Amino acid sequence: MALETSAEAPVPVRTVLQAVGGWIGKLGRIWVEGQIAEFKKRGNTVFLTLRDPIAAVSAQVICTRQVFEAVAPVEGARVVMFVRPDFNATRGSFALTAIEIRAVGIGELLARLEKLRAQLAAEGLFSVERKRALPFLPGVIGLVCGRNSAAERDVVQNAERRWPAVRFRIEQSAVQGPYAAGEVIEALRKLDADPQVDVIVITRGGGSLEDLLPFSDEALLRAVAACRTPVVSAIGHEQDSPLLDYVADLRASTPTDAAKRIVPDVAEQLALVTQLRDRARRCMRGWLDREQSWLDATRSRPALADPVREIERQAEQVDALIRRARQSLDAGLARAGDDVAHTRARLLALSPAATLRRGYAIVLRYPGGDDPPQTPPAHGGPAPHAPRPPLRGDDPGPPGTVVRAAAEVSPGERLTIRFADDQLTVGVDHE
Amino acid sequence: MTDREALSYEQARDELASVVKRLEAGGLTLEQSLDLWQRGEKLAAICAEWLDGARARLTAAMAARETDGAPGAEAPF
Repeated sequence: MALETSAEAPVPVRTVLQAVGGWIGKLGRIWVEGQIAEFKKRGNTVFLTLRDPIAAVSAQVICTRQVFEAVAPVEGARVVMFVRPDFNATRGSFALTAIEIRAVGIGELLARLEKLRAQLAAEGLFSVERKRALPFLPGVIGLVCGRNSAAERDVVQNAERRWPAVRFRIEQSAVQGPYAAGEVIEALRKLDADPQVDVIVITRGGGSLEDLLPFSDEALLRAVAACRTPVVSAIGHEQDSPLLDYVADLRASTPTDAAKRIVPDVAEQLALVTQLRDRARRCMRGWLDREQSWLDATRSRPALADPVREIERQAEQVDALIRRARQSLDAGLARAGDDVAHTRARLLALSPAATLRRGYAIVLRYPGGDDPPQTPPAHGGPAPHAPRPPLRGDDPGPPGTVVRAAAEVSPGERLTIRFADDQLTVGVDHE
Repeated sequence: MTDREALSYEQARDELASVVKRLEAGGLTLEQSLDLWQRGEKLAAICAEWLDGARARLTAAMAARETDGAPGAEAPF
């Protein structure tokens, strides 16, 4: 049924449109699946934009109010429609006329989510080893949330209550509907690229399974897994668990819970710090006191406190030595004095003077001279017979030869007889 | 003995203890014991300086906290 045309034999517009309409009409009635991007009600007619679940393409759908209200789908809902593709030849526009709309069954959605969950789990995206620890005190907290949402207020206000100086960088995005996943991914990339952001929180309030579907979007889950920054999932209520909860580094049950998880309670921490500081100071003071007493004790030890004592000790030693030296000298002198006395006594004992006193006399001859030499007279002129001065032990007088036998002397020889105190010169008779 | 020594408190304290021990053990020349005693005095002064410094810092820290005011006023929080 191709149109036979040429430059000389063109067909009018209406013919072309009719032909297109004819071709489209040949499609008949078909089942189509998509996501409702938006809809407008006008009179008894509803105009919908049906978006492809994956590709960024959409088609217009027209249906009656009755058909639409049978399901009453919301924006973002996944639906299956029984449609008739229609070409409006008058306007040259293409639309699908819906004869029946069915919501994609909850059971089926759950089955699809479960399949995706199993697949990502098999890839290891949910493994515990991949989880990163959250910083104790984050510098800046990245927050992905809906515009003016309650979730945003919950996170920000609760975090500020715990830690007044907390800083946020907030990226708002759609959090439901066909564009939510893409916008959240975009916000996530921005925050992850900011080096000041230490943790990212993705949050939204509770909603139906369909509302939360963007947070089970495979592309979003992969983007979260690829983030360098730890990601906290805070979607809906306790019972909601989009797949984001599995891939995030931390799952918070609610936006409020997320605030508790990402910042410490400053009052609690301050109390702890104060307590620790007091303990540290007490400890420090105790140490100081201990060391100070040790130092004081050491300084008061005689070795340090009284160095004069050491010098005195040395001086005492010197004194003692002097005393000992003097004592030794005294003793030596006394001994020497005694020796002299003894020697003198012995000398006296040995002196002939004592013998002479007992009545003995010594006969002396002076050979070579008739007369014994005279001591110079102490009393005037020569006195040959004058008595000699008394003998003293230490003055033996001029030497002479002791006569020991009569035979030693010749007649006429003069001899000197010495007594204890004086002497007498005699002549020798013949014999 | 250098004049300005960078001795830690523990070094000064341990050396002081050993100086006193040697002084008390005796058997030294007068000059040795005088030198040791002088060294001991110096070490004791170094120890005292450390302790005084530490005490001053501790006191300053305690005083600072009292003027800090409300816990919320502390900067990092």
